Amino acid sequence: MTTAATTPEMDKRPSLLRQVRDALDLVFSSRTAMVGLAIALFWLGVGLLSLFWTPYPPNAQMFSANQPPNAANWMGTDHLGRDIWSRIMAGTQVVLLKTRLSADPPIVIPGGVAIWGVIGAVVVGGLLGVNAGYRGGIADQIIMQILDAFIAFPVIVLYLVIVTSLGRGDLIVIAAITITGSPGVARLVRGLTLDIKTRDYIRAAETRGESKWYIMLREILPNARGPILVDAMLRVGYAIFAIGTLGFLGLGLPPPDPDWGSMVNDARKYIYANPLAVAWPALAIATLVIGVNLFADGLREEIMRYQR
Amino acid sequence: MAKFLVRNLFSMFVTMFLVSLVLFFLLEVAGGDVTVRLLGVFATPEQRESLRRQLGLDAPAWQRYVDWLIGSDWRAQQLSPYPLTMAPNPQTGEQEWWTEVDGVLTRWRMVEGELLAIQRTPDGREVTSPASVPWTTDETGAEVFWGVDTRNNLVKWVRGSDLEVLVLSKAGVRSERGGPQQYIPLRKGIVRGDAGMSLQTNRPVSATIFSRAANSLILAAAAFVLVMPLALFFGVLAGVNEGKPLDRIISITGLGFTATPEFVVGVFLILIFGIWLRWLPATAVFLTGDAIFRDPKILVLPVLTLMAAEFGYVARITRASMVEVMQSPYIRTAFIKGLPRRRIIFRHALRNALMAPITVVMLQINWLIGGVIVVEVLFGIPGLGSYIYDAAIFGDFNAVAAAAMLTVLIAVMTRLIGDMLYTYLNPRIRFA
Amino acid sequence: MNERIHPLVLQATDKLRQGRISRREFLRYATLLGVSVGTAYALSACAPAAVPTAPTAREAAPAAGAAPGAIVRGGVLRKGMLVQQVDHPARLSWIEGANAVRLVNEYLTVTGPDNITRPYLLERWKASDDVQTWTLYLRKGIKFNNGDDLTADDVLFSFSQWLDPAVGSSMLGLLSYLDGMDSVEKVDDYTIRLHLTSPNIGVPEHLFHYPAVILHRDFQGDWVKQPVGTGAFTLVEYLEGERAVFRARPNYWRMGEDGRPLPYLDEIIFVNLDKDASVAAMQSGQIDTFFKPRPSDFLALKDNPELQVKSVATANCFVVRMRVDMEPWNDNRVRTALKKCQDRQKILDFSYNGEGILSIDAHFSPVHPAYAERPIPPYDPEGARALLEEYAAEKGIQLPLRVTLATKNDLSEPEIAQTLKELAAPAGFDITLDITEPNGYWDRWTEVPLGITIWAHRPLDTMVPPLAYTADADGNPVPWNETRWVDPEFVEKLRKAELTLDVEARREIIGELEDIMQERGPIGNSYWTNEWEIIRKEFQNVVAHPSNFDFYYEVWKQA
Repeated sequence: MTTAATTPEMDKRPSLLRQVRDALDLVFSSRTAMVGLAIALFWLGVGLLSLFWTPYPPNAQMFSANQPPNAANWMGTDHLGRDIWSRIMAGTQVVLLKTRLSADPPIVIPGGVAIWGVIGAVVVGGLLGVNAGYRGGIADQIIMQILDAFIAFPVIVLYLVIVTSLGRGDLIVIAAITITGSPGVARLVRGLTLDIKTRDYIRAAETRGESKWYIMLREILPNARGPILVDAMLRVGYAIFAIGTLGFLGLGLPPPDPDWGSMVNDARKYIYANPLAVAWPALAIATLVIGVNLFADGLREEIMRYQR
Repeated sequence: MAKFLVRNLFSMFVTMFLVSLVLFFLLEVAGGDVTVRLLGVFATPEQRESLRRQLGLDAPAWQRYVDWLIGSDWRAQQLSPYPLTMAPNPQTGEQEWWTEVDGVLTRWRMVEGELLAIQRTPDGREVTSPASVPWTTDETGAEVFWGVDTRNNLVKWVRGSDLEVLVLSKAGVRSERGGPQQYIPLRKGIVRGDAGMSLQTNRPVSATIFSRAANSLILAAAAFVLVMPLALFFGVLAGVNEGKPLDRIISITGLGFTATPEFVVGVFLILIFGIWLRWLPATAVFLTGDAIFRDPKILVLPVLTLMAAEFGYVARITRASMVEVMQSPYIRTAFIKGLPRRRIIFRHALRNALMAPITVVMLQINWLIGGVIVVEVLFGIPGLGSYIYDAAIFGDFNAVAAAAMLTVLIAVMTRLIGDMLYTYLNPRIRFA
Repeated sequence: MNERIHPLVLQATDKLRQGRISRREFLRYATLLGVSVGTAYALSACAPAAVPTAPTAREAAPAAGAAPGAIVRGGVLRKGMLVQQVDHPARLSWIEGANAVRLVNEYLTVTGPDNITRPYLLERWKASDDVQTWTLYLRKGIKFNNGDDLTADDVLFSFSQWLDPAVGSSMLGLLSYLDGMDSVEKVDDYTIRLHLTSPNIGVPEHLFHYPAVILHRDFQGDWVKQPVGTGAFTLVEYLEGERAVFRARPNYWRMGEDGRPLPYLDEIIFVNLDKDASVAAMQSGQIDTFFKPRPSDFLALKDNPELQVKSVATANCFVVRMRVDMEPWNDNRVRTALKKCQDRQKILDFSYNGEGILSIDAHFSPVHPAYAERPIPPYDPEGARALLEEYAAEKGIQLPLRVTLATKNDLSEPEIAQTLKELAAPAGFDITLDITEPNGYWDRWTEVPLGITIWAHRPLDTMVPPLAYTADADGNPVPWNETRWVDPEFVEKLRKAELTLDVEARREIIGELEDIMQERGPIGNSYWTNEWEIIRKEFQNVVAHPSNFDFYYEVWKQA
């Protein structure tokens, strides 16, 4: 009995090392994914570096304002005489690397706002989707109807509503990304579940008398992880984009730490004197989004080729 | 088809109902204490409590939700001994709530413990006289009367009561003796076209919101109509040349546009074309309500900004769809049969490949709306997007709720049309 | 003819001689300051000696400022400005809304860009010797745009609105010296008398407080629906958050230089645009002017060949203020040392593009009528260091002295703080900057030991100090006394100044007040900012006002 139960498990779940190697193979076999990964890793590296070192303190007004790029300030300085490159570096943190919880003193947890937001969306959306797909019937209809209500909100509108009612803060941004992202994830997972549900190993598990939650969490979700992962990568891109837009609208992450969207918004007043101060953070947003997108695209193509 | 339509319409109503619930409870219940916003942080608890009562916030949340959705007048009517009615103010034209007492429009006011009736004469004047009203005795033995006050509330007056009401005005909070015990703010409800008063402008929300929505629709429609042929063309071009340099160039350009936020594109379009070159108006200045038609040039840069955002997305879907079709068996068969490439693409592949993008794009309307908000704020266009943005910044609950409802309604309807179009174009679903 | 001639009149004579003001302007100015018409003409006649035209000929042509016949009528002025909610003008709480109302309704008095208050709808006013009874003489022959005559009834109605707590006007607090309508007496149809419960010299200025427009006696409470006023424009359209359109009315009471009623412009349109969009729209020629340019906007637009920049000196300032009840600022030597660390010109250049006038460390501006001239203190790090070393030796501490400077980041404060930090280092200060969003500072502006606070322009010298440097009856500093500095001698002299109507006599007292503040006061103040009116070159007769009030009645547009 024991052996019978573990053998198929072994088949489905190879060792961690093997998984990583497979994943890397997948990445290396796609040039698109490689390029995307390189860009994303570049920014991740920059962010990690900025935790320990930036050329100058990102909030220090040490130079004259609105300088063009020069030897001391590679990207020039902003309207308050701060080094733009140091601020761009530090701007990676709030997106990818750290979340500030409003407390006194503020608590900082690892993982950026975009990352936690997408994790939230995947967890909430995944659970709802797998339940809708696997249980079917009335549960399916209720879940999908509720999700339809949320999906009906344009992201920015929902965020404006949330800001009006709850205020600003890292947690609010995470909540907004989660709420706006989970319906999409749920739809995807529901579709995948409907497909996987018909497979033999699910039948086998049902015959074994496993609980519904066991089947959903241990059998279905792990087998749907490829597309979910790709989708999550794309969502990180959207999230970075959304955070930038919110920063531009003056509703972004709270100061003092710089975020790229707010940097664009602040520099906009001085664009006639210093257009580059707008261009640099914009370029940062665009490249990171492109990187994440390319990576996700490449992965998807490879996975599809794998499946074919 | 009819069944499909009915089912979708039903689903749409349920969706809108859920959306209204989400909105109301996010804004009204989770939204914190509105009295802090109105009175400031230094107000006393008594002042807050009094204002809460005047705003009808002492009613349970579900009750306020129902009032907000379908109105409070029907509920108030059961309490009022006289029929409630709305009449325009002869001076300002604004709709006011009155009761009809023997055919005369009447409201009441309590001055130093004495109830005064304000009656509107047929020539539009207001006459104030001591009131004789049918006081009734409530369960506590007090003599009470439900009547309309001068601020569009149905209120409960108690005879001989000495309750202090603290009324908010710009000079501070003022105390009035003998005030009403309970307030029901009169409104017709959002589904009946009364979205309440905007805190920011102190005008009915519904008075401004529709002309704003019209501007937004023109903007969005112009961008949509212009970008579609362009994006479809380049998408097909890329799809047909999959993997070749042309495909790479188009794909990367599209991705670049998509990944560059609208606000950045817009800011640089303004700088380059509006200010450096001065070819086009830098912002959308609405000197008249119909500025869009008088001077369509003002829309060029906003539309270009939106197009830049949409282009990459549509082109990408089109390319993917084209690639898929080009690899499908019947196209391969056509190639094998030796038909000219041009003919295969135009006669066979194109029709099938374009079906997906045209409809899928309609399903992505929410994405477009997000862009519209940014573009309107950036270019100063008085549309629905800038309206909801201003309202959100101000904390104007009624306006945010109404504008969000309208936005969602537009989104849901567009998606419904997209669904129907897709079903119509795709017989496999239609007859399934 | 032994007249005391107001010193400003003499200054104006110089300006006239240099050709910087027109003769017409000079005459109006001089007569309003109490110089008789005869003397004014005499002064103006002796001034333009260089001008060959005979004085009599000039007088015959009223349009002395421009070449006769140069004024063009017609045209539209487009202004970018937030179009805010307006209902009852007495309740106005933003300048933008007041600028809209100002086109339709008018004030009893007017405080010009020179901070001199003149009669407007009033013909003149008279104050009793104890400054406790003010008689207002209304101009005759003014008609509302609905055809009714302006009489004392309209003025009384307007007072009743300002003083009615139910209306909720900010005038109510300002006119605290009036005990309701009992203090407002109608003498006859064109004369109103105010009986103050306590003396006040600021009555004419208060009557130009921006909610104080004169309303029609039948006004119901919503200006947008009932835009009845005596002003030169009528309201065509008012859409909050979108635009407001005004059109010239016929038969306005003031005459233009061509002998026909003002205004010169046909139409004024306010378009709801934020500052960023406005700056872009200015450069692409879509609007003609916009409300209250920021320093960054000034920088972006000042060299544009199509635009003209009108600057006006104001009493807006950023004070570096020190809590005198907290270490180390309770020691006057430390305060003086920090004041000596201001290189005022440098701070002005770095933080405000050099657009302002240098100041002494007192809260009295040269734009105020009764300002007493004092030399600008030089940058003196050595002197500051000596004071600090003395203090440190007494306290037994080592220099540098570590202090934290708090302020907000939306205007010029960060640049001021940054520059001051550098300038103060050689004197032995080690300044840590604590710069936050505006709300972050306004939440604690009265609490921080050392901060930079912006103070807004007030037209009269005795308006700010009572708010900021006095105590209440119980001896506690008043709510806005952010420094807790209450100096008995200063307060006593300030109270005296508040009752002194005569400008020359008041200047004596203000001079003493300035000396006290410089000697032991709680603020460093490097400069007074300029405000700008940036407008297309076609528009003539444009003036910039320190409070950003619009004066568009006499603006005309070159064809």
